[in-house]
Amino acid sequence: MLTSKVFIKKTKRGSVMKIVREHYLRDDITCGSRVCGLCEHPKKQQKPPLEENPNNRSSLCKRQHYLLPDTNVVLHQIDVIEDPSVTNVIILQTVLDEVKHRSIPAFKRMKDMLGNPDKHFYTFCNEFNKDTYVEREPGESSNDRNDRAIRQATNWYRQHIRNVDIVLLTNDAENKTKATNAGLQAFTVYDYIKSLKDAGSLVDRLANPLTKVSIQGNKVLFPEHLHLSDIQRGIKSGRYHQGNVLASRENYLEANVSVGGLDKMVFIQGMINLNRAVDGDIVAIEMLPESEWSCPSSLVLVDREERQKEEDDLDENEKEVKNPVPEELRQPTGRVIGIIKRKWRQYCGILQPSLLKEATRHLFIAAEKKIPKIRIETRQAENLTGKRIIVAIDSWPRTSRYPLGHFVRELGNVGEKDTENEVLLLEHDVPHSNFSQAVLNCLPEMPWTITEEDEQKRTNLRHIDICSVDPPGCTDIDDALHCRRLENGNLEVGVHIADVSHFIRPNTPLDNEAASRGTTVYLSDMRIDMVPELLSSNLCSLRSNVDRFAFSVLWEVTDEAELVGKPKFMKSIIHSKASLTYAEAQMKIDDPNQHDTLTESLRNLNKLAKILKRRRIENGALSLASTEVRFYVDSETHDPIDVQVKEIRETNSMVEEFMLLANVTVAQKIKDEFPHCACLRRHPSPPPSNFDPLIKAAKSKGLTVDVSSGKALSDSLDKAQFPGNPFFNTMLRIMTTRCMMQAVYFCSGMLPEDEFVHYGLAAPIYTHYTSPIRRFSDIIVHRLLAASIGADATYPELLDKQKTQMVCNNLNYRHKMAQYAGRASVNLHTQLFFKERVQDEEGYVLFVRKNALQVLIPKYGLEGTLFLNAPEKGAASLFTYDEEENTQTAGDVVFHVFDPVTIQLFIDRSNVQNMKLSVKLVKPVVPGFSVPPAAYKQTTEPPTKKRKK
Amino acid sequence: MVDVNLSEAEKTFIVHGIQDNFREDGRSNEEYRQMDLETGLMSNTSGSARLRLANTEILVGVKAELEEPKPEKPDVGRLEFFVDCSANAAPEFEGRGGEELATEMMNLLYRAYSASTVLDVSSLCLQSGKLCWVLYVDVLLLECGGNLFDAASIAVKAALFNTKIPSVKVRQEEGEETELEVSDDPYDVRRLDVSAAPTVLTLSKIGHNHIVDASQKEEACCLARLMMAVTASGSVTATVKEGRGSLDPDSITEMMQVGKRVGKAVNEKLLETLKEEEQKGLKRKTVGFLR
Repeated sequence: MLTSKVFIKKTKRGSVMKIVREHYLRDDITCGSRVCGLCEHPKKQQKPPLEENPNNRSSLCKRQHYLLPDTNVVLHQIDVIEDPSVTNVIILQTVLDEVKHRSIPAFKRMKDMLGNPDKHFYTFCNEFNKDTYVEREPGESSNDRNDRAIRQATNWYRQHIRNVDIVLLTNDAENKTKATNAGLQAFTVYDYIKSLKDAGSLVDRLANPLTKVSIQGNKVLFPEHLHLSDIQRGIKSGRYHQGNVLASRENYLEANVSVGGLDKMVFIQGMINLNRAVDGDIVAIEMLPESEWSCPSSLVLVDREERQKEEDDLDENEKEVKNPVPEELRQPTGRVIGIIKRKWRQYCGILQPSLLKEATRHLFIAAEKKIPKIRIETRQAENLTGKRIIVAIDSWPRTSRYPLGHFVRELGNVGEKDTENEVLLLEHDVPHSNFSQAVLNCLPEMPWTITEEDEQKRTNLRHIDICSVDPPGCTDIDDALHCRRLENGNLEVGVHIADVSHFIRPNTPLDNEAASRGTTVYLSDMRIDMVPELLSSNLCSLRSNVDRFAFSVLWEVTDEAELVGKPKFMKSIIHSKASLTYAEAQMKIDDPNQHDTLTESLRNLNKLAKILKRRRIENGALSLASTEVRFYVDSETHDPIDVQVKEIRETNSMVEEFMLLANVTVAQKIKDEFPHCACLRRHPSPPPSNFDPLIKAAKSKGLTVDVSSGKALSDSLDKAQFPGNPFFNTMLRIMTTRCMMQAVYFCSGMLPEDEFVHYGLAAPIYTHYTSPIRRFSDIIVHRLLAASIGADATYPELLDKQKTQMVCNNLNYRHKMAQYAGRASVNLHTQLFFKERVQDEEGYVLFVRKNALQVLIPKYGLEGTLFLNAPEKGAASLFTYDEEENTQTAGDVVFHVFDPVTIQLFIDRSNVQNMKLSVKLVKPVVPGFSVPPAAYKQTTEPPTKKRKK
Repeated sequence: MVDVNLSEAEKTFIVHGIQDNFREDGRSNEEYRQMDLETGLMSNTSGSARLRLANTEILVGVKAELEEPKPEKPDVGRLEFFVDCSANAAPEFEGRGGEELATEMMNLLYRAYSASTVLDVSSLCLQSGKLCWVLYVDVLLLECGGNLFDAASIAVKAALFNTKIPSVKVRQEEGEETELEVSDDPYDVRRLDVSAAPTVLTLSKIGHNHIVDASQKEEACCLARLMMAVTASGSVTATVKEGRGSLDPDSITEMMQVGKRVGKAVNEKLLETLKEEEQKGLKRKTVGFLR
């Protein structure tokens, strides 16, 4: 049977068209139930998905029944539906289509459930069944039509299957009444889930029903969001702007919105102006008049737990916004007038302890400071105290100060390392599940042997004395080196990189998985591999005394490190003679008694590396500082027992130098061969305004920093010394690092060539070639290089610049997230380390903020925030902040940037659930604020309760 | 015009019959043949109608499109007529053979609808000087069985009655481009008021008498005819005299009187039928050409 769908569409040219589409109705769409004897179920398929004895036990419906949820139930209660105990559900096509239209993530989760045979879910194509198709009636909204279609299908099922009942789940009162009147069984999700025999935690997972909002009376706190069509019109006319909300990492009441077309971010301040936008949302904003423009309060918001009355806060915030801001500091400021797309996801965090034990309404505090608190309902609050949980946001009505959400699942106890690791992996969107069977099937069979064919295709370099130099404990060795004297007196230097692309073939599940993971993530105590362990730690790892496949680059150089001829690229088989650590390699070089070929080779490499480095620095490459720390872990408890800043040896820089050389050489080669689709890495030069804080800070010490070019900057950093402060230069370099842009991967066809430049390395072109085991970009580069020397074939995606750019975008994102996760892991370990300690340390002021000092503690390479609030609430602060001079003054003590201070480190236990590292001032002494040195106290005892704000 | 070859004897027979107010197919001089009408049979148009008058088959489709109004009339929308005579209808229409007739029909339709009272074209204007609805009325002649002009005009009126214009709101705020808002409800449409729209009535002078709704054979006997566009209220919006023969003023006056009377009746009956069909609503099954 044929019918047609008619709709009216507005074309791009502004005309209005009537469009008619054919729509076929069929009579052979099956119901998908095993009890049905009427439908001709396809024979090839195994059994239909819906079981004979659905095990749904509810006191509302005594008989066995299938569930049939409507669209809103699927959209909002997807966490409930995902629970393994919810089975035998009929998903109508109407519902699935609408879910797809309204939320892609929910749709994906639904598809996963439908694909899972244990869930016994069935998609019924009611729109194509001649008995269940309904046409829209005059005066009926499309939602009403869909509701009617759902009821029609429910009714059809009811008449079709006699032995099993059908239960319609809907939260829409009208729909429910209509269904009940039509003789159908319809319940709200809340009633149904509560009626289940073993409802348990399912009840908590129910999304907050909108209708139940009675919190705080009905005081409307937020202005209404504009309707989408108004927004679109406003955007078109230029009155509004569309952008992504990036909440400030320091203050969740401030955010920047990146608007396409404007070069500066638009600043948004205050709860009302943010108008319920959460980090990541796509919103429409309106610019405020210039007179109301503001700037970040450069105020580190004191932890939210300490804020007390909500109403008070609101007023406070309003005041904040009205603060007159000096004109020169003003930034384009706007306010959110509507939400175009929510980007809500699930958030990790903890419950805020409630005063009432029996209360079911609780506030949830996300681990990310960018996210506001979320109000949830749970009966198991007592169980969940002290646990990390995951919560999803459902809605944010105008009357509620916080968004409403529901509990999803718990991760484990706060403070346990496994839980905390899980949290930070989840928070940074790091894929960390085990590799799927499909991926593992792509691995070569063990024992792995080198075949005749491999021998023929590859150059045999087994006879060369190659060695690898890595940090201790490294199992994924992806680079090895050699250097030997040629007959003509020149030196031959070789860099050998693990040939991962030999094992990871394009478009296999293994390839897709690696591309999606993008990078191996290193946490302080664990590693989340990009490729399965068999490859990362065995077959690809260039271990000593075994034959391994490598991708080699060979250069001929003179003793003065001048390149002779062209570099040679080859797929090879190598046999590494030794896997050294940086320290071992250093000892070999320094030991005058060793004269074996390996040592000589290392000495030559070291000598060449020094020349290369000098040349690079002369070219204007920056040497920047960041502090990396290493934890010494107790073998029993796995708790860190000591922490130390990583040591940099000559050999580190030696390996680095040759890796840079290889990367640059390969980048040039693949760019020449594939000018449009080479995967490169660039580091844009930062806009001069980025350096403002650096220049200001240096000026306060009477120094000038020239930022006109990389070379000038590098030189002025070298010259910047300050007597009496040995750490000054390093701090300046740390600050410089903060001024830099992010280096990113990109596809060479997408940008003009003069933007390829790598600012930090002062190289006109750069890529990543040397770590294919832990970075996917390197695998792409390997494939390109292999294709350019005829060692491997290309494939369509490799040569498509759009596809390559998409891969690059994902890599950039994963990379950034991996970095954040790594840093978060270090913070976590620092906390564990200080769990039992109170220590006084030397530190330096790195930044001066409105109500805090950011202090760098070189010994641990960490930064602490020293709050300068008044000891008691209401009392005037002891400190006065000078925005111009960037100083804080208390009495006769003045804090400048770079000033040395002594501070006390301890774990703040005032909040049992969320311990954190806190600092207090010891020296210089500020009466009424600083504390006596720790030595006077017993170190194991927790310090006196932290001052209340 | 499409001709049939008739012998003198046949012609005489027809003429004599008409003199006695008894035509060869048994009708009186002021009687119409059986008419079949269906509207809304083409879903991709804004409005459509199919008319079968004995053997004459006409299909009319109306498409509404948004365009700029003509500069001389910035505040009104307009109708555009187009007639296509299919070569299937008569061998004479092959190639460009149908164009002459088509132009003639088009001109008559333009004239019939040119009076400002027949259709409220100002309601088709959305924004003065910028945006208005233009209704493209396409008439397709599929089969010839005489009295093509009447049939075409009745089908046009029925199609206009059936026309559903999407309801579009125009928003304009200061200094901004116009913005169209289209309702997502397919039933949220505007209808045209065609109660004052004319239909064409052709009076053929045969011998000393005149008849309405001439069949093909009768047309072959006719020397002169008067075509007039008559509305339901009986007002005439256009007249055209056609044919080689001449008409004296007296008979013109008389023919006009008959034309008004019959035209009024045809219009009334047409509207009645259309409303009846409309009442059947969505449950009505479209027939199209399946019969």
